[in-house]
Amino acid sequence: MKQWKFTDVLVTIMVGIVFGVIMKFWDDFYTFIKPILPTLRQLFYGMWFMVGPFAFLLMRKPGTALLASVAGAGLSAFIGHGVQVLVYGFVQGLAAELLFAAFRYKRHNILVAGLAGVMSCLGSFLLDLYYGYADLEAWALAVKYGLRTISAFVFTGVFAYYIVKALEATKVTSLIRPVSPEEYEKLD
Amino acid sequence: MPEWLTPQKNTWLHRANPALKAALLFAVMAALFVTRNLVFISVLLCVYGGLLFLSSGHSWRKLLLLSLPFVFAFLSSSLTLALFGRGEHVLWQWGIVKISEESIRSGLAIGTKSLAIGMISLVFLLTTDPVLLFYALMQQFRFPAKYAYGFLAAVRLVPVVIEEWQTRTHALKVRSIAFSKGVKGAYERLKLYSVPLFAQSIRRAQRMAVAMEAKQFRMDQPRTYYHETPCSGIDAGFAAFVLGSLLVALASSYG
Amino acid sequence: MTVAVGVEQLRLKFPGEPDILFQGLTLQIPKGQKALIVGPSGSGKSTLLQVLSGLIPQAVEVPLKYGRIQRPASWGFVFQDPDTQFCMSRVDEELAFVLENRQVPRRDMEPRMREALALVGLSPDLLNAPIRTLSQGMKQRLALASVLLLEPETVFLDEPSALLDPEGTEQIWTSVKQALKDRTVILVEHKIDAIVDWIDRIIMLDEQGRLVADGEPDAVFRQHKASFERYGIWYPGVWDDYAASARRRPVSGSPGPSRNGPEPSRAGRKPSVLPPAFLTHSPQAAPGRAPDSRDGTSLGETAAGAAPPSRTGPDGRPLLELEQFEAFRGNACKLRIDRAAVAEGAWVAVTGENGAGKSTLLLALAQLVPTAGTYVLRGRTIPEIPNKRRVPEGIALVFQNPEMQFVADSLFDELAVSLASPDKSREELADDVRRLLGMFHLPDDPGRHPYHLSWGQKRRLSVATALASRASVLLLDEPTFGQDARNTFAILECLEALRADGKTVIMVTHDRRAVDHFATEEWVLQQGRLKEVRQIRRT
Repeated sequence: MKQWKFTDVLVTIMVGIVFGVIMKFWDDFYTFIKPILPTLRQLFYGMWFMVGPFAFLLMRKPGTALLASVAGAGLSAFIGHGVQVLVYGFVQGLAAELLFAAFRYKRHNILVAGLAGVMSCLGSFLLDLYYGYADLEAWALAVKYGLRTISAFVFTGVFAYYIVKALEATKVTSLIRPVSPEEYEKLD
Repeated sequence: MPEWLTPQKNTWLHRANPALKAALLFAVMAALFVTRNLVFISVLLCVYGGLLFLSSGHSWRKLLLLSLPFVFAFLSSSLTLALFGRGEHVLWQWGIVKISEESIRSGLAIGTKSLAIGMISLVFLLTTDPVLLFYALMQQFRFPAKYAYGFLAAVRLVPVVIEEWQTRTHALKVRSIAFSKGVKGAYERLKLYSVPLFAQSIRRAQRMAVAMEAKQFRMDQPRTYYHETPCSGIDAGFAAFVLGSLLVALASSYG
Repeated sequence: MTVAVGVEQLRLKFPGEPDILFQGLTLQIPKGQKALIVGPSGSGKSTLLQVLSGLIPQAVEVPLKYGRIQRPASWGFVFQDPDTQFCMSRVDEELAFVLENRQVPRRDMEPRMREALALVGLSPDLLNAPIRTLSQGMKQRLALASVLLLEPETVFLDEPSALLDPEGTEQIWTSVKQALKDRTVILVEHKIDAIVDWIDRIIMLDEQGRLVADGEPDAVFRQHKASFERYGIWYPGVWDDYAASARRRPVSGSPGPSRNGPEPSRAGRKPSVLPPAFLTHSPQAAPGRAPDSRDGTSLGETAAGAAPPSRTGPDGRPLLELEQFEAFRGNACKLRIDRAAVAEGAWVAVTGENGAGKSTLLLALAQLVPTAGTYVLRGRTIPEIPNKRRVPEGIALVFQNPEMQFVADSLFDELAVSLASPDKSREELADDVRRLLGMFHLPDDPGRHPYHLSWGQKRRLSVATALASRASVLLLDEPTFGQDARNTFAILECLEALRADGKTVIMVTHDRRAVDHFATEEWVLQQGRLKEVRQIRRT
């Protein structure tokens, strides 16, 4: 596996940060929906898991998922969501990263990306258990995390996949993907 | 430093080493993260709330304003837990709502916890310059330069991204693009904003990385530092303060 | 002759691109020489600089092969984008970044930073200034200063003035000439008239990066003048040649080339009806005097097939009137116009310093920001429903970055979004799309992705989408910014043809020559007020 160039680092961090900005707007958008019912918010919660898988699908390098997730969380924390998002960002990013590693970083399809999102969701659930967000009645627990899991898959699997595909079509990804050996041979 | 972060006056908190401050406050947050003890949490809430309002160097008005989102979070999460939380000693029940002794306790615990962590976050954010923070992380904790400068460089571009977001909104209006409702609409919005915004940002990040390397920036190589971030007596004092606060909170929760 | 930089048998290929660039280029630059590299967009000039400096492959992975290469022992690089050259927010921190990389001890940093600032003509008081408060020209000078801190023997400059206004351009070249007197300089530029007297050698590359010319400026210029024009280089006197020549291209006519290749030769075309512009202060020509369509191929039919709108409104009033008009950004009033009017078929150039309110004016006319006061368009008061702002019908705003307006992944869909109407069949739609593509000299390839076009083509596509939405008033924000000569003329001619067809153009620009040669009036804005309306007579 090739070494990271600094470009890779900066682009990954940038992707994470742009997501952090988007999440800020996203959050403002449904801050008002939040208190009403836990359900509605959970449907959109998947957004928070999107950073890592999105970055990995984009750049296809090991470590991107984790770095992007932490960078996004860093920006969120900086903007004022509270320092605990750093913990969430790290754990969620790590969960996605491990899932991608389980497939040897070679698979880049909807299923794998969606699974990575589900893993991130699991990570968030574990953290919630400690924090106390999961001290709910059994049915509420099932609804909340069930919806969140679905949302995770939809956002990180379906949405992230197709948006990365759209970006690939613009050819902006040719700058950041690893170069295959065939490209070198074409020079001879 | 963004404008709202700039303090009215510099306090001792501002002069503390940012990386050490971060580590200490993070430790407090970690302690709060796992506990359910309402007394423990409340003591820390008072201590760090007090620290915020007394020693952060900002006006009370601004602090109250900045605390609002955390108060909001307090209300919403404690309410959710109170109404739907797990519990046996039921006080009132109607349909899916089940208020019990335990659920009220959970609700309060989580609410005060969020508020306390919010206070700590504000104490940190409002007394720390991000540039100095990264310099301190590099010098005190050997944080890799590539991540430090990478983050600083990327954050520098955030205002540009926000402006592009606005431009994109305008452009979509000009082209009379209307979105569907619901989840499909969410996807359309996401896609129509993401593609140009990420395309521009990726290119910019790439250009910036090349420019930085053209200035002889190399990952994993020794360097000198323009902003020197020493440790001082203030840091020892702050460490003592933090330790003290944790001990007091612990003691109260057993008493 | 000591060689500072050189390469033999260079070949390079970008991943995903079909062509091999350079195809065996051999080049040597002796120490102390000032070399200028010119060529069409896409000829790999910037890439060549990055190869010679070592940025490729050190910082950017691109497959390349060469026989031998000699890279400079010490070098610095100035890029064209003032905003992505810096990683820090403050002047001193940015300069310090270089010194930190070189492991200069802290105590030596400040004197060196001051010295570097002085060398490029910036005041040492700027040390604590945030970089965003500097003008674009000052930013480029700061970039040069940070390069000087590297103590480079060779300095590479990649179109440092491309994104600067005339004032900034002057600033940077002055600093370059002063600070780089004794060093080897390898320079890529499009706007060469300010620098051509200073350089020793011109190297011209073609679209594939092959060597076309190489020698002293006068000689190269004399022998290859046609290439300079063809490659769209801003050589000295280019505007005069353009104005004097009869080679204005009509917008429609032959279908555009199917790839991003050079446009077919212009020789032999019928001369345009439009003579060069003369600048006087005479009263405005009566509305409706716009020149006739040219060459028989007419834009008389708009893309949607409707008849052109009448020259003046139904009651002879001007197209657009403003009175006590105010525009707000946030809560602040950024623009105030007591009285102004635009006639149908006019070409208004909006000029003024940065921050004078030019972009705000366009946003206000498109109702994208809150406004107050009287705004009448075609006899209708805008906003039509008070307190409900929408983009007025017939108005289209074309932004500075064309990609910001694209919504589809094929040229067909991009235009169809605006062209489509319920009563139009698929065949009609396809015909309209093809016609628009041809009109704007875009590739006849409806399946192509908009992002794959060249910058000039993207610009024309964004204007095409505005036209497709049946707009009759086109608002443009710096349409010629940062472009080479050929694309600049192309877009201005497109706009002129649209105007001949009855459209009205309101354009924000810094380009003095574009104003003088194409506009019918100039609105000079200063600090949010309309300082002067100047008529430009076109015979």
